[in-house]
Amino acid sequence: MRSFSLIFKQFSRSVLLIACFAFLGSYAHAQGDAAKGEALFKAKCTACHKINQVLTGPALGPQLTEETDDKYLIKWIQNNQALIAANNPKAVAIFKKFEQKGMTVFPELTDADVTNIITYVRTEWKTEQDAAKAGPAKGGETATESGPSDVVIYSLLGVIVLAFIIILVLNRVIATLERLLSKGSEVLALETAEVGGEPVDRLAGLKKLAKNKKLVFFVLLCGTLALGSWTWVTMWTTNVHQGYQPVQPIKFPHDLHAGAMKIDCQYCHSGAYKSKNASIPSLNVCMNCHKVVKTESPEIQKIYYALGFDPKTQKYDSTQTHPMQWVRIHNLPDFAYFNHSQHVKVAKLKCQTCHGPIQEMKEVYQYSPLTMKWCIQCHKRTNVDFKGNAYYANLQQVHDLLKDGKKVTAALMGGIECGKCHY
Amino acid sequence: MDSNKKYWKGLEELNKTPEFVELNKHEFAEPIPIEEVLTGGGLEGRTPRRDFLKALGFGVGAVTLAACQKVPVHKSLPYLIKPEEVTPGVPNYYVSTYDGQAILVKTREGRPIKIEGHPNDILAKGGASAQAQASVLDLYDTNRFQSPTKNGAETGWAQVDDFVVRELLAIKAGGKKIRIVSSTVSSPSTLGVIADFIKQFPTAAHINYDAVSYNGIIKGNQNSFGKAVLPHYNFDKADIIVSFAADFLGTWISPEEFTRQYVSNRNIKSLESKKMSRHIQFETGMSLTGSNADVRIPIKPSEEGPALVALYNAISGSTLPGTKTIDNKVAANAITIAAKELVAAKGKALVVAGSNDVATQVLVNAINSLLGSYGTTIDLDNPSLQYAGNDAEFVEFVSDMKSGAVDAVFFLNANPAYDYYNSKDIADGLKKVRLKVSFASNADETSSLCNIVAPNHHYLESWGDDNAISGYYTVLQPTINPVYDTRQAEQSLMKWSDNPLKDYYSYVRNNWNTSLLAKGGLSGQSGWETLLQTGFVKAAPVTGGSYTFAKDLNAVAQTILDHSKELAGDKTEVQLYQSVAMRDGKRANNPWLQELPDPVSKVTWDNFAAMAPSDMKRKGLVDGDVVKIDANGYSVALPVLSQPGQAQGTISVAVGYGRTVVGPVGKGVGQNAFPFYSLRNGTFQTSATATLTPTGDNSPLAQTQTHHSIEGRNSIIKEATFVEYKKNPAVGTGKSEDHKDYTEKNNLFWQKYERPTYDWVMAIDLNACTGCGACVVACSAENNVPVVGKDEVKRRREMHWIRIDRYYSFDDKGDGGVTREHAIADLNTDQLDHVKVVYQPMLCQHCDHAPCETVCPVLATVHSSEGLNHMAYNRCVGTRYCANNCPYKVRRFNWFNYWNDARFENYLQNDHTLLVLNPDVTTRFRGVMEKCSMCIQRIQAGKLKAKIEKRPLKDGEIKMACQQTCSANAIVFGNRNDPDSEVSKALASERTYYVLEELGVQPGVGYQTKIRNISELEA
Repeated sequence: MRSFSLIFKQFSRSVLLIACFAFLGSYAHAQGDAAKGEALFKAKCTACHKINQVLTGPALGPQLTEETDDKYLIKWIQNNQALIAANNPKAVAIFKKFEQKGMTVFPELTDADVTNIITYVRTEWKTEQDAAKAGPAKGGETATESGPSDVVIYSLLGVIVLAFIIILVLNRVIATLERLLSKGSEVLALETAEVGGEPVDRLAGLKKLAKNKKLVFFVLLCGTLALGSWTWVTMWTTNVHQGYQPVQPIKFPHDLHAGAMKIDCQYCHSGAYKSKNASIPSLNVCMNCHKVVKTESPEIQKIYYALGFDPKTQKYDSTQTHPMQWVRIHNLPDFAYFNHSQHVKVAKLKCQTCHGPIQEMKEVYQYSPLTMKWCIQCHKRTNVDFKGNAYYANLQQVHDLLKDGKKVTAALMGGIECGKCHY
Repeated sequence: MDSNKKYWKGLEELNKTPEFVELNKHEFAEPIPIEEVLTGGGLEGRTPRRDFLKALGFGVGAVTLAACQKVPVHKSLPYLIKPEEVTPGVPNYYVSTYDGQAILVKTREGRPIKIEGHPNDILAKGGASAQAQASVLDLYDTNRFQSPTKNGAETGWAQVDDFVVRELLAIKAGGKKIRIVSSTVSSPSTLGVIADFIKQFPTAAHINYDAVSYNGIIKGNQNSFGKAVLPHYNFDKADIIVSFAADFLGTWISPEEFTRQYVSNRNIKSLESKKMSRHIQFETGMSLTGSNADVRIPIKPSEEGPALVALYNAISGSTLPGTKTIDNKVAANAITIAAKELVAAKGKALVVAGSNDVATQVLVNAINSLLGSYGTTIDLDNPSLQYAGNDAEFVEFVSDMKSGAVDAVFFLNANPAYDYYNSKDIADGLKKVRLKVSFASNADETSSLCNIVAPNHHYLESWGDDNAISGYYTVLQPTINPVYDTRQAEQSLMKWSDNPLKDYYSYVRNNWNTSLLAKGGLSGQSGWETLLQTGFVKAAPVTGGSYTFAKDLNAVAQTILDHSKELAGDKTEVQLYQSVAMRDGKRANNPWLQELPDPVSKVTWDNFAAMAPSDMKRKGLVDGDVVKIDANGYSVALPVLSQPGQAQGTISVAVGYGRTVVGPVGKGVGQNAFPFYSLRNGTFQTSATATLTPTGDNSPLAQTQTHHSIEGRNSIIKEATFVEYKKNPAVGTGKSEDHKDYTEKNNLFWQKYERPTYDWVMAIDLNACTGCGACVVACSAENNVPVVGKDEVKRRREMHWIRIDRYYSFDDKGDGGVTREHAIADLNTDQLDHVKVVYQPMLCQHCDHAPCETVCPVLATVHSSEGLNHMAYNRCVGTRYCANNCPYKVRRFNWFNYWNDARFENYLQNDHTLLVLNPDVTTRFRGVMEKCSMCIQRIQAGKLKAKIEKRPLKDGEIKMACQQTCSANAIVFGNRNDPDSEVSKALASERTYYVLEELGVQPGVGYQTKIRNISELEA
């Protein structure tokens, strides 16, 4: 424990130090407020630029660190067209380098604003560079799965161990009592002292144990119980694939899209609002962003390959398409009907209720057991959200239940009847 | 009046044949070999030790391997680029056209899965026929041509185009005839393409050829009024309808439309205003229409002419030369009554005849003219364009072919090698034709004789339009990309005739832009877009002139009577008809239609010779005995079926069966009866005389009618006459003072269930239901009901969730209106000739105290708080106790894994046709029970839609599949908790009763009594 905290201390200290130096170093360059700069950067620049990567425009980190003439930079950012028109040699060179595509002009940014942005970019870039030098950062450990069944198993094991101890103690007591009965109380003190002092012959002990009927019975009982509970659990979980995480043809990171980028689930899974299928997005949805974003990534190249898209010519060739074969993760049996829109649009459930912390999943796995018990439990516990929905206005049942002060759950509205899902 | 009337489902039940009695003791046709197992018989069977060990080894190995794969890997393939309008899981609906009728096509993820009637369609107003419902399955038929063929070998379109164009140019240079033979084309754009083709090849001509022709009516109108049209009939404007063998509710011209019109004068609304039309039917075999008539008189085909002459005489008061009294006393009497009533209802009367004989139709025109029907019940100015077949032109074409005058022929949706009465002439003639092109999408008899097959798209893959009735223009739009390498026939014709427009879509667009859109007050791009949403335009109707018949009838009467004399004689008269399910046989490869029981005979998967029970007795025949029928130099062997109501001395045989070149579904089903047709006075005739010789074989028919017994209960069907109804609307329901109250308060065993939110119930009007069976197919399409095939139907294992029960009862005439139990002993033939028929759609009654629920040991069938009887398939272990305990016999057991069993693949239950399944309904596995779920997927979807839109559920918003397709609107579904709902109002009707009410099971489906308009005049 101690050694770990030591390592942590050393590590954090070095990081802090580096950060400090970096900050001071950048401070020497141009005085600006990095925090304000960050806000502005995200609002104005991210459409075309990244700090560490070429996007539509160049990577700004190296670009702004190499270029130290802040006055020129401010002018360029505010109105690059004017600089080019004025035949500023640096500006014209850049203009030519980037295929004469001019940058958007930002006359609304004051000098101070631009300074803030530059400060932010330089700080960020420096931090990144230093971090890269310090060695690759450790990836966060994925949380281990612990289902309720584990708890049950452990507590069962605990009970078994406890019972074992109790039986051992009782056995001793009985043996002692038996001896007491045969030899009388005076010998007792002597004998016990002797037993305590003598070294125990281990093999003999085992032999003795094997002859102990109670113990044999107990071991057998434990064995039967363990086997039985294992069978029970196995049978219960047959065809329950909770945690199923197949390898997908494209390593699509939900943590990046839904988590970091905060893209709404329905942007891609547009069916969830209107249909029984949430629907896997068609690849043209990906292309809304990935025509420009991360075009060089091998995963994105797979999209281009599937669509017959040539990033160089920016053209689609419909004869060169290849269907994308995702592996289905959530497999409801055919005889169970499930409708996403009922749950998402009408009941206003969050996707995460069933699909788990999808915004943190690098690769998606089946979060919920998808068993009928799981469905029914939720239907029994969840109140119907009927406020503001005129559909429920005429349903006398709702009013009666409310009058009685009852909770109107999905189950009370008939949500656990067979035919609601099986037809 | 509690009904003492005796109903029975089939003659077996009536006569209590030993086989029937024996079979009815069992719930399932074949007993389960329990005895065998218990006595060890099953164990004594020899299983060699090695085989046993092999099986054991394999079993253990397989189980281990199966267990290794922890999670089955399911691939999920999203769209690469999702079409904007598609949301996976949400259906899209597109308007289109089936047979001139506007429809809605339900698609899921770009696949059409269901046809639904278009609520604004002017023909059926939301109804759709069994054929329309079944047509979606044809789209996924694996037996369709998957590419063009040349001389039977698959080839490419370029080769076909190259060959045909070269040939056509050579033929053009040669100057011999080119013919396009099609069944009636009513699409303006198709007609335009054909006209353009003819312009390019001046020796070409277009011949409309209908397997079942209405040419007699067209020629009759030409003859009588100088207008060669098929009139538009208005059955809704007729107070009295007299039909001579016209099956207008089942097959005649536009049955869905006529059903809607007909029922509008007989349904609950009409009855409550104390109005009901009257319908008298004279016919040979029991047709759907005849079975719905108030009065039905069986007459022989030879008696039809004299009967019409007699009717004319009675109405006009004159006597046509050659008139003789009719031997058939009942018919003669009925003619007198009919004439009186027709005259009394002048201007609101309608006489129709199903005959294709010109003279007969001229006489009918004369009668209608006397009755003032023109301009009221018959519209000659806004004619029907559904049938324009010209028999004489086709016959001339056949002789042209035989003489070698035709060099090229194109068959568009026509199969004369099967349905022309002299198919040998077609085969011989085609040998002399240089270029023979068939546009058939499935292999048929004609395409097998052609050198080029240029397969047409299925209509759900096509652009196009249609014009069923003058002024009513509908549009076809594709709802799926072509499934196979096919091409629309119009596109082929345009290509071959070097049309300036390069694709048929532009042609259709152009046609609508220049002429059709304007008829509906639309124009331009926005007009076209509106059209693609509304589906049709309706031009203002032409105001009709009045038509008076002023021709001499003497020659006409002579022709009719001569024909009648030819038919009459010692020989058996044969009447040929279209069955409601199969029609002309073009859809023979559709298993949904093959398995749909014929409304009257309840026979599936076969045609047969229907014979009067008395004739059967006389000839010593029993059901299923095969007889050889010789007529017109052609003979077939068909099983006979005793059909109450069949005219004595006649047999009726359905056409449309016995296809020889067809997919596996239609192969070997029935025998072809088209060769019994004959040509007379320039039109095809549907009657013949035949000699019958029993072959001694017996080939049992797969009939569903007697799969359940009525068990002597008399609370299943309740009926009354209109006269009684007017006095007391509740007559016949058994509701009187001494009527026991079976409602909740007298029920001691069962606790009352709360229905806090909804109480889903259904009301079925027996007076509106015609028994056509469209609901059965619609239900199968909606609920993924499997097809089981003839053998399984014979074992009473059909799977339909809704069935139409057909009950016979004796005619009221004679012994005071009722036939008591004991009266069956003195059964005479006359009574069996004059049976009454009631149809009753029977589906799960969703009883409040359902007997099936209490006997299920695993609680697989339980009740919901919304009044539905739920069935959880995955919980069912297949004890079948529930089916045993169901008083309505509506539960079906899955004896096989129908959707995934090689034995049933032939019924289009293969990997490809899985695409037609409704993704919202589970396909049931072997060993579980199933039954009507009250389209619970539709209820759930309707509720969800309302929840999402944050509004209360509207009445009528949720429609059952059976209800939706019913042209007669006989079925109403809704929430009983809402007193203003349609269904609450319908159930509040005095006519409402519940089947087997006395069991106290509290059914959720109420029926309204059948009312017959039997007038006092008949007594």
